[in-house]
Amino acid sequence: MKNRKILILLLCSFIVVSTVISGGCTKTSNIVPESISSQTPTSKPTHEAITEIKDTAIKITDMTGREIVLDGPVTRVVALTPSDCEILYAVGAGETLVGRGEFCDYPQEVLNVPVVQSGVNTNLEQIISLKPQVLLMNTMAQTEEQVEALEAAGIKVVVSAAYTIEEVYDSVSMIGALMNREAEAKAVIASMKETFAEVSAKASDFVGKTIYFEVSPLEYGLWTAGSGTFMNEIAEMIGLKNCFADVTGWCEISEEQVLERNPDYILTVAMYFGEGTRPEEEIMNRKGWENVTAVKNRAVLNLYNNELSRPSPRLADGARMLFDFINGTAVKD
Amino acid sequence: MIKKQEGFRIYEYILFAGITFLVFILCVSVGSVSVPLKDIFTIIWNSVWGIPIPETIASPSIILSVRLPRVICAALTGASLSLCGGAMQGLLRNPLADGSTLGVSSGAALGAAIAIAFGITMPSLPFAGTMVMAIVFAFVSLIVILTLAYKMDFSLSTNTIILIGVIYSMFVSSILALIITFAPDKVKHITFWTMGSLSGSNFDNALVLLFALVIFGGGIVLHARELNAFAIGEENALHIGVNVKRVKLLIMIFVSGLIGVCVSIGGSIGFIGLVTPHIVRMITGPNHKRLLPASLFGGATFLMLADLVARVLLNPLELPIGVVTSFVGAILFVYIFYTSRRKTHA
Amino acid sequence: MLEVKNLKVRYGNLTIVDDVSFSINEGQWLMIVGPNGAGKSTIIRAVSQGAPYTGEVFLYDKKIEEYKPYERARIIGVLAQSNYVNYPFTVREVIRLGRYAYAPGIFSRQSEEDERYISEAIEMTGLGSLLNKSVLTLSGGELQRVFLAQLFAQNPRILLLDEPTNHLDLLYQKQVFALIQDWLKTPGRAVVSVVHDLSLARAYGRQALLLDKGKIKALGDIDEVLNPKNLDMVYSMDVYAWMRSKLEQWR
Repeated sequence: MKNRKILILLLCSFIVVSTVISGGCTKTSNIVPESISSQTPTSKPTHEAITEIKDTAIKITDMTGREIVLDGPVTRVVALTPSDCEILYAVGAGETLVGRGEFCDYPQEVLNVPVVQSGVNTNLEQIISLKPQVLLMNTMAQTEEQVEALEAAGIKVVVSAAYTIEEVYDSVSMIGALMNREAEAKAVIASMKETFAEVSAKASDFVGKTIYFEVSPLEYGLWTAGSGTFMNEIAEMIGLKNCFADVTGWCEISEEQVLERNPDYILTVAMYFGEGTRPEEEIMNRKGWENVTAVKNRAVLNLYNNELSRPSPRLADGARMLFDFINGTAVKD
Repeated sequence: MIKKQEGFRIYEYILFAGITFLVFILCVSVGSVSVPLKDIFTIIWNSVWGIPIPETIASPSIILSVRLPRVICAALTGASLSLCGGAMQGLLRNPLADGSTLGVSSGAALGAAIAIAFGITMPSLPFAGTMVMAIVFAFVSLIVILTLAYKMDFSLSTNTIILIGVIYSMFVSSILALIITFAPDKVKHITFWTMGSLSGSNFDNALVLLFALVIFGGGIVLHARELNAFAIGEENALHIGVNVKRVKLLIMIFVSGLIGVCVSIGGSIGFIGLVTPHIVRMITGPNHKRLLPASLFGGATFLMLADLVARVLLNPLELPIGVVTSFVGAILFVYIFYTSRRKTHA
Repeated sequence: MLEVKNLKVRYGNLTIVDDVSFSINEGQWLMIVGPNGAGKSTIIRAVSQGAPYTGEVFLYDKKIEEYKPYERARIIGVLAQSNYVNYPFTVREVIRLGRYAYAPGIFSRQSEEDERYISEAIEMTGLGSLLNKSVLTLSGGELQRVFLAQLFAQNPRILLLDEPTNHLDLLYQKQVFALIQDWLKTPGRAVVSVVHDLSLARAYGRQALLLDKGKIKALGDIDEVLNPKNLDMVYSMDVYAWMRSKLEQWR
C-alpha cells in the first residue's frame, strides 16, 4: 500500500511538472530564455526615485517602494539583471561591478566580471563572498527569503522593475542616484528622449503600415511580442501598428495568422551565430510566405543583440535601427 | 471448425481509413484563418493537377504551405507514435508502456538538443545530425531503462517500469535543462522539446516521417505475431520458437528509429502512444495483427484532432500540442493505472 | 533424444544446479523430484534455453545451441508452472501461436496442416466451447489447459513440464496427467517433468531423477530412485511413514 502511495505521488508530480512546463501564452520567463525575457508586463510599480544626499549618505526608494539608505559612496555592486548592468555602464559606473548575472552580456566589458548564479539557482554564499554593498536585481530574480538573507548579510538589495519606456527612465535615474551619478543619468535619459523624438517624427508617413515581431523562429513554433512589450511601444512610437497587438506579452501564435495579417515589415530577434542561413534569409525563404508584403519587399530586419527586449538605454538604439531600416525601405519603395 | 481470419479485414481497413480521411478533411478545412471549404478544394485540386489557382482565392499558401503539410505531419507523427506505443506495450506486456512514460522520448529530445547545442551535423543532410542523435539516444534510453528494470524486478511489473520511466524522464529532463542553460540561444524553448509542436511543418518533414514510418513502422507491423507472443509472455515466446533476443532487439531498433525521427521533427509529444493503442485495443482486441494497423489509423486521427485543438482553441494563439495530448493522456493514464491495479489485486 | 551433460547453473555465487547429467529416450517419462529449492525447475529452464548455464545439452546428438529457435521449438515444447497473461487474448489466439515454429518467417501464412493440429489440440483438451473467450476470464485450470493445447498444437517430440499441475485442483491434475500419458503413447515422443507430488510422480513416471541441493542423489528406474533410504536422506524425514499415515486417513 505504501509503495502504491509513493507511486501515485510520483505520478502526480510527473503530471504536474509536465503541465507546468507547458502553457500557451505564458507570462513567465520559463518559456522565453531569461536573456530576452526581462520585460514582461505584470504589475506596474512606478515610483519616482527620490534622492536626498546628506554628506556621503545615499537614500533612495527602489522600484518596489522600499527605502534604502546607504553610507555611500557605492563602490562594489553585484547586478543580476542584464538591463541593470547596461544602465550601470551607461551612467559610467561600470567599474563598480564586482559580479553579474549569467545573462548579462552588454557591453563587452561586462563579460570580464565574475558570474554569479541567479534565479532559482542563486548561490547566496557566492554573492556574499564578493562583498558587494549593493545587489541590483529585478522583481523576479529572487525570492523574498533570499532578499532577507542577503540583507541580513549587510548587502542592500535594490530592485528595478521597468515595463514601459517611462519606467526605464525611472530605473536609470534610480541607479544614477544610487551610484551618485545623477548628471550622467540625466544625460542618458535626455539622449534616449531625443532619439525617440527623432524616430517618431515621421510617424504620419507610416500610417496603416504593420509590423510583425518574431521572437522565436518557425522551427520551434512562432512566438511574437504583443501589446505591453517594448517592441510594441516602439512600433507605435515610430508609427507602425503591431499586427499582433491583440495579444498580450510574448506568445506562441499561429503561422496562418501571420500570413493572413500580411505584415508590411518583419523584425526578427532570432540569434545569428555567423554560420548557416541568416534569420532574415530564413524568413524570406519560408514556403508559403512568398506573398507576404514584407517578404515581397525584402523588408525583414534582424536585431539579435536584445536591443528591443531589455529595459535599458539601448532601447533607443534599437528604435533607431528599426526606424532607419523602415525609413530606408520606405524610401526605396 | 470455422476458419477465422486473424488479421485486419478489408472492410475494417476501409472503415478505419475512411474515418481517418474524414478527420483529415475536417482538419484541413478548419484553421486559425477561415478559408471557404469550396476554395480549399479548388486550391488542393488545382495544385494536384497543376492547374493555376484562380486569382479570386485569397492566399492559397495558407492551405498549401502551412495547413496541409502540418495536418499530414500530425497524421504521420500520430500514426508513428501510436504504433511505437502498441509495439512497446506488447513487447513489455505492459499496457502503460510508451515512449513518453518510459522516458524514451525525453532521451530522444536530449539527443536532438545535444546535436543542436554542440553543432553535430552530417555534411550532406543538415537535419540528419539531429535526427541520428535523437535515434541513438532513444535507443540507448530504451536499453538503460530496460536494464535497470530487469535488474530491479525480473518480471517487469507495472510499478517497476513506471517508476523507472518517471525517474529516468526526470533525470534526462534535468540534463536537457542544463544543456539549454549552457547554450540558451541555440537550443531554444524547452517547451518544444518537452511538449512538442507541429507548427512550421513542411512537406520535407512529411516525407521524412513517411519514409521512417514505412521502414521502421513496416518492420514493427511485420512482427505482429512475435509481438503477440511477447504480449502473452516472454517465456512462452521463447518456448514456441520465437528468436526472443533478435526480435526484441529489432523491435527496439524500430521503435527508437521512429521515436527519434518524430521527436527531432515535432518534439516529444507525450502520451499519444499510450492512449491510442489502449483505446484501439478495446475495439480490436489485443491481437497485434489487428491492433497495429488500427493504431496507425487511430493515432493519425487522434493527433490530427489534438493538433486542431492546439491550432484553433485560443486563436490567434497556439497551444503546444503536447498540452492537449498530455491533458487527455494523463487522465487516461491514471485511469488505466487504477483499473489495471484493481485487476491485479483482485 | 535428449542428453544433458554436466549441467551447471549459477546465480552469482549461488550454484543452483551442480553437475547434472541425464538422458531420455523415446517413450520415456522422466520425473524430476526433490525438495523445494533443489533446482528442479531450473533444470527445465536451462534446457529450454531460458536461463544461462554451463555444460552441454544435445538434441539428437546435435548441440541444442546449433538449432535455430524455431527448429528447437519443433522438437522441444515447454509447459511453464503458471502463465499469467496481461491482455485479453482469446483462447484460439493463444493456441494458434503454438504453430509459430512451423511458419517463423515474416511473410509465412497459416497452412492447412496448422489448422489440423490446432483442431486436434482443441479436441484433446476439450476447449471447444471456450475458443472465443478471453483468457483473462478463465480459471487457473482452464488457462493451464489452454497452454497445454498450445503445446499440443506445437507438436514437439519432447515435452518439458515444470510442475504443470501445481496450482490445479485434483480433477485437473488427473486430467492433465492423463492427457500427457495419452500423448506419450504415440511413438517417437518423450516427457521430462518436474513434479512436486511424489505420489503423482510414482503414478505416471517410469524413470526418475532425485535432486538434492542441485546435485543428483539418484537416477534411474522410478521405484529404485524413490526408495526409503534416498528419500529419507533428501527430505530429512521418514517419507514412507508419512505417505502411509496419509493413506490411512482415507481408509
